[in-house]
Amino acid sequence: MKFSITKWASIFVLILTVIVTLFPVVWMALSSVKSKEEIFSIPPTWIPKTFTLRHYEDLFTRFNFGRLTINSTIIAVGVTVISVVIGSMAAYGFSRYSFRGSGMLLAFILIARMITPAALVIPLFTMMRAFGLLDTIVSIMIGITIINLPFVIWIMKTFFDGLPKEVEEAAEVDGMSPIRTFWKIVVPTAMPAIATVVLFSFVTAWVDFLFGISFSTTAASMPLTVGISNMQTGYEIYWGPMMAAGVYLTLPTLILAFLLQKYFIKGLTMGY
Amino acid sequence: MGKNKRWKTGVLLVFPCFLFIFAFMIYPICSVGYLSFHEYSPLRSPETFFVGLKNYEWMAGSYIVSYSLYVTILFTVVSVAIELIVGLYLANVLAKQMREKSSKIGKGLNRVLRSIFILPFAVPAVVAAVAWKMMLQPQFGPVNALLGVNVAWTTQYPLLSVIVADAWKMTPFILFILFAAIMSIPAERFEAIKIDGASGWQEFRYVTFPAILPVTAVAIAFRAVDAFTKIFDVVYVMTGGGPGMQTQVFPLLIWKTAFNYFHFGEASALAVAAIAISLIFGSILILRRRSK
Repeated sequence: MKFSITKWASIFVLILTVIVTLFPVVWMALSSVKSKEEIFSIPPTWIPKTFTLRHYEDLFTRFNFGRLTINSTIIAVGVTVISVVIGSMAAYGFSRYSFRGSGMLLAFILIARMITPAALVIPLFTMMRAFGLLDTIVSIMIGITIINLPFVIWIMKTFFDGLPKEVEEAAEVDGMSPIRTFWKIVVPTAMPAIATVVLFSFVTAWVDFLFGISFSTTAASMPLTVGISNMQTGYEIYWGPMMAAGVYLTLPTLILAFLLQKYFIKGLTMGY
Repeated sequence: MGKNKRWKTGVLLVFPCFLFIFAFMIYPICSVGYLSFHEYSPLRSPETFFVGLKNYEWMAGSYIVSYSLYVTILFTVVSVAIELIVGLYLANVLAKQMREKSSKIGKGLNRVLRSIFILPFAVPAVVAAVAWKMMLQPQFGPVNALLGVNVAWTTQYPLLSVIVADAWKMTPFILFILFAAIMSIPAERFEAIKIDGASGWQEFRYVTFPAILPVTAVAIAFRAVDAFTKIFDVVYVMTGGGPGMQTQVFPLLIWKTAFNYFHFGEASALAVAAIAISLIFGSILILRRRSK
């Protein structure tokens, strides 16, 4: 095997991209355990000289992250359950039973995937205000779900379209009702696809910022993403806690992405 | 099962979803259309006043709006270009590795690399924004220290800063789509051209490139529409649209018009324009795909 210049160049570029990919996250993690003085030291220290969990403590004592974590979790679970249940049902309906207008409706839903969420926020805001739902978890949940639903339908319909119909037809001959067939036969076989949409729905809701910042004003409904953005005020940026919050916020999605890498990449690349 | 009953089952399955979409997407789109012909400033008055096309006239004539569109297009083009170049390169390297190194170490290395490259995608956009804000911090940020310069990135080169953060986060998307596409090319084709003594570049030019071109085009189109219509979090957190309006991308302009300046009428007109743009591009993409 010969090692030409191009080979070495490509190895060099590869190493460089690995460094660029990892560095921001590594730097954030390192900064999060440095003392406040060390974070502000010029030039920056590459290897932390101090080690403190003070900023992580601050998250809970000064920035109310206990409450915000509960909010974010409820929002993520709620969005996941609603969008996966009604989205999968609809995808199955679109895949197996066409009815008048179903093609149009499906096309609209898929196109809706492209809609600018910031544009939808304006009327949803006035609507939520009319219902007295501003600054509630429910309003944020609804906002994220409406953006997430088209994605769920897209993935699930692609999956159902590729599933052989014979088993369902046999169930029908046996006199099983369609709804029962759906829950007892189709859903169990669709588990890999469902895992993908569950994962993606959860992550989408967990990382949402737009609906949180638009609808939430107090800790009653505030998600973690808004909490981290509030750490920079017009006067000051709380760098230490902000870095700790970044690590804290990333950990769940990172663990999910690594454990369920197969589903993660599948959801990422499906439909292209 | 009778035809009538089949129809009923279909409707029954789709109905809950339809209800949700109608209540929280179709109805709001109609109401934002209605609002766009009105003046509504909740701070001044709870009432709405009909103003005809005034908001649209403002939108058509405003420099703020045209500048915002310009910034958004520039942002989209540059960040998608970076994502494509880096993504395509890495996808090729990974796929080549996967094909040629069948040893355990080669496969293991590949797994590690893929885990590394998926990382930015698993990082929430707001976190990517604060991480890069730290990286680019002029006094104690590592980028200036490494380069030995003293640049206030987010104020001197605000758009570039935002593009770097966004491209960093979104490159894995392109990378993994292209990787999957390259891996689905039959191995014989690579072997055949290799026997003919082709170089790495020729291999890419005559085997890989033609095979992945359709997928690449679709992925870029989706990614561009996404970048154009959905860029918000990174800009909001990193620069807030500033300095001045240098990074005021279109979604952020809509949001600020409503929630910072409380001009809901004008914001609605902008929203209608944004929805129209996304529906047009969305239909072109989806209908083209469905017709294939």
